[in-house]
Amino acid sequence: MNIRHIFSCRAFANNALLCTLILWSRGSTGAATTPTVAAVPPLPRISRFENFGEKDGLPSHKVHSVLKASDGRLWLGTTNGLCVREPNGAFRRYGPEDGLSHAVVLSMAEDTESGDLWLATMQGLSRFSGGKFTTFTQTNSGLPNNVVYGVAVIDGTVWAATPAGAGAYHIRSKTWKIFDQNNADMEEPWCYAIAPGSGVVYIGVWAGGIVEYDPKTGSFKAYRDPDGDFQFQLTPNSGPIADITSWVAYQDGILWQATYFGLSRYDTKDATWRTWVQDKTPLVSNFINTVFAHGRVAWIATDRGVSVTDGINWDNYIVGENGQGMVRTFRSAQDPQTRTMSTALANGFVLAIWADDHEAWFATSNGLSHALFDGPPSPKASASNP
Amino acid sequence: MNLKRIIVVTSSLALAVAGATVGGLSGMREHERIRSGLPNLGLVSCMKCHERGLDSLPWAKPRPHHDSPDGIAVSPDGRTLFIALSDRDEVAEADVASLAVTRRLKVPGGPFGLALDTAGNRLFVACRNQDRIAVIGTRDLKELDSVSVGIRPTAVAYCRTPNGERLIVPNSGSDDISVLSVAPLLELTRTAAGREPYSVAVSDGGRRVYIANRMSVHERLLSQPASEVTVLDPSDGHVLNRVDLQSAHLAEGVTDVPVRGWVINSMVRVRNLIPITQVKDGWVMSSGIAITRHDGSVTQVPLDEANAYFPDPSGIAASPDGRRAYVASGGADVVTVLDLDRLGAWLDHAGEAERGDAPENMALSYRYVAARIPTGCNPQHLALSPDGSRLFIAERLDDGILVVDTTSLKPAGRIILGDRGLDDPIRLGERVFTRARYSFQGQFSCRSCHPDGHVDGLSYDFDGAGVGDNLLANRSLCGVAGTEPFKWNGKNPTLQYQDGPRFARVLMRTDEIPQPQLDQLATYIKHLPPTRTVPWSRVGQPLTPSEERGRKLFFATRRPDGTPIPFARQCQTCHRPPLFTNRLMTSVGTQGAQDSSGVFDTPHLIGVGAMAPYLHDGRARTLEEIWTVYQKDDLHGVSSYWSKEQLNDLVEYLKTI
Repeated sequence: MNIRHIFSCRAFANNALLCTLILWSRGSTGAATTPTVAAVPPLPRISRFENFGEKDGLPSHKVHSVLKASDGRLWLGTTNGLCVREPNGAFRRYGPEDGLSHAVVLSMAEDTESGDLWLATMQGLSRFSGGKFTTFTQTNSGLPNNVVYGVAVIDGTVWAATPAGAGAYHIRSKTWKIFDQNNADMEEPWCYAIAPGSGVVYIGVWAGGIVEYDPKTGSFKAYRDPDGDFQFQLTPNSGPIADITSWVAYQDGILWQATYFGLSRYDTKDATWRTWVQDKTPLVSNFINTVFAHGRVAWIATDRGVSVTDGINWDNYIVGENGQGMVRTFRSAQDPQTRTMSTALANGFVLAIWADDHEAWFATSNGLSHALFDGPPSPKASASNP
Repeated sequence: MNLKRIIVVTSSLALAVAGATVGGLSGMREHERIRSGLPNLGLVSCMKCHERGLDSLPWAKPRPHHDSPDGIAVSPDGRTLFIALSDRDEVAEADVASLAVTRRLKVPGGPFGLALDTAGNRLFVACRNQDRIAVIGTRDLKELDSVSVGIRPTAVAYCRTPNGERLIVPNSGSDDISVLSVAPLLELTRTAAGREPYSVAVSDGGRRVYIANRMSVHERLLSQPASEVTVLDPSDGHVLNRVDLQSAHLAEGVTDVPVRGWVINSMVRVRNLIPITQVKDGWVMSSGIAITRHDGSVTQVPLDEANAYFPDPSGIAASPDGRRAYVASGGADVVTVLDLDRLGAWLDHAGEAERGDAPENMALSYRYVAARIPTGCNPQHLALSPDGSRLFIAERLDDGILVVDTTSLKPAGRIILGDRGLDDPIRLGERVFTRARYSFQGQFSCRSCHPDGHVDGLSYDFDGAGVGDNLLANRSLCGVAGTEPFKWNGKNPTLQYQDGPRFARVLMRTDEIPQPQLDQLATYIKHLPPTRTVPWSRVGQPLTPSEERGRKLFFATRRPDGTPIPFARQCQTCHRPPLFTNRLMTSVGTQGAQDSSGVFDTPHLIGVGAMAPYLHDGRARTLEEIWTVYQKDDLHGVSSYWSKEQLNDLVEYLKTI
């Protein structure tokens, strides 16, 4: 009989919290095995920001989306076209004159199978492949609507979130499906975001919460705000904080919901919800544009800066009144700490984030920011046997 | 009394017959008027609508099969040749020394493209008709393994990569490229290509593969077409580049010239926006090659000479030392030998403007054409021995492989595969179809616009008055039997009429095709089956729910609220099964500014999913655009009540027809 013990402890190293999960297994013979220690890394700590604007070659001050592709190239979706950062650091722009369906690129997704980039624009869905654009519109294809807010590539299907439903383009069969209020568990067809889950697809629906779609069974499940009120949180930690979903992200069994009224976290393993609102919790702002998940950490892009959290600990990066960078740290059983940074985000209105273990990129309404982290996360993790 | 009774009875009968005749005719006219929605139809054959079943059509009946050679692969030691015989469902093995066929293997599915592994132990076969890649052990000549790929794979290339052995397969029917691992035999990725990817070459030491896309794409009406060369990293299937060959179509062949860092495509330079009647000026199409460097730069140069054309360039091979390339011109029964040293020297010295003008400069080819080798009928695939000493030319409609000594450029023998099939009128018709001798100066063949009898995806200007004035979309000949009359204006009642004296004078600008050959040509065309647009694995399978919903929409007689849809505007009225045409003229509100009439022949829809662009002038790039952009007043079917989902369903159904 296998017995799994999961517990956590706190330890601090480099001012960061280490949460430790210990998986201790016993074989069927009852003989003890060596405990397996899985360390949850501390929150990444940003040491400084590098900022880029039009003077550095960005085609626009407003950057809607940012993506670092699997080949290491950095892509930006701006109000003035698609932009790639060349190896020499220069920015190269692609616009409608190159075949891009519209200058405003709201979201991007990489098809890791082909290396193609899929672009959500204000007038269609574009594929950028081998230096060439191919455009899908509501008139030349099965795309539900030309305004595409979000795009994701999930298991050979390109998902496009549009005001007329979520369009699913199966790359191999070249067929489209549309999911909306007629055939899915949606209050209305206005979709903002798509995120791949574990065998499922999460659709962020404006005023419809989150819709979970299981491609294997073709079934839907809607996650709705239990109190039905988006202005007040009457029933915290019991479901999505609001039905007005502005973005969704998923990784490591955790679904994050961004709304204009706070943040929600759904742990799919134990089906538990957590919700946060500003003032009452460390969340820097209720107005969340997007959320990016990396591991169990969420990077939250708001109108007042960035919150980074693993659900327990928080770091908020904001721009002070004088333009200085500030980080406010929240740790369990500790008073919040505020520290002034030598550099700041390009702008506090953050539209999108991309991050990994080593760096983060921030698309803001006035430039692009690159965050460099303090040294590598400590490899140490506390472990103890029960 | 008796006489009086006889007169009365006879008169009554005559009146009754006359009345019945007049009434019947009137009834028939009314039936036609109501059912077609066309007011002044006159009496037409009942068969217009009440068509016989498809089983009776020529293409649905058994036909003779031939030993037409397609892809060729040469063993690493140069002693053995493997030949794909798609029409026989066989792969043949031949001994190069004795020129004898030594073994044959049944390989179901129309084996078309071949490739060998490095050691020559495994032969990979692209089976075009069953969407699969078969692996053949060359020692026992047995099929070892098979894997499904996209629709109608036409070629396969083998290469070694840091991630292992790879097979690259262009799927001509699904417009994508499969990247397979060999051990195990698995499809790793399937990447979107241009239109109709057709051949593939491994380049840059296995770091890149170049895929030639046979069909061009024109982004919008009156835009220049371009054929894409898709460049992939074979190790992971990622797209590295998509190179456009401007004004090119039928880019069927591709070969690597590693010594020079070139990849060469065979191609046709098409001028579809210039009045096609200007054949005498060489304005319709010419043949050439495109040289692509790894940085993506392209230079096109002609194969043709000022008054000598070498149409339908297809197979291409380059010698291992990079000094020569060979291009098969299927319409001229010629293989052109290119001196790449001389071509390289010209490229080195030519300025940018001179290189830009080169595709139109028919006086240029003498600089680099070393020889023209006459061949048997319709050469397409080529292969060189590993040492470059022997060139093998698949003479497709002569059932043979011509072996050429590349030192002397003289024939060194011929491998006989079959009896040439000269007693088969269908094959004789295909010879007419593929031969350019029936056009002015042999500039192009029927195949030049109808590869495999299908469309080339272009609209041509048939108006002699101006440039781009009166475009007409090319129409497929596949499945065309029984759909007469022909032409968008519906004026040609038979294929013989369509391709007869007027066609010769106006379009081909030469003497008419002699009657026996014209009859053979018509026979061949009538035996062209419709293009398959669904994967082989789905043939005969039930429609998907989406397709089924689309089918119901196609055959709808009422709107969802119960309102009847007028007969004339129901899809099934004009596109009546089984041919999906009533073979009548109708207007769907698409008359253009330069069209003398808005009434056009109703095209059949069998294989319509592969026939883009759509409508009489090709203005609709996709099926969706017919109703989202070019629908007017519900004239092309009542679509105003359709939701986007319903339109998607209808399109999915149409793609299954």
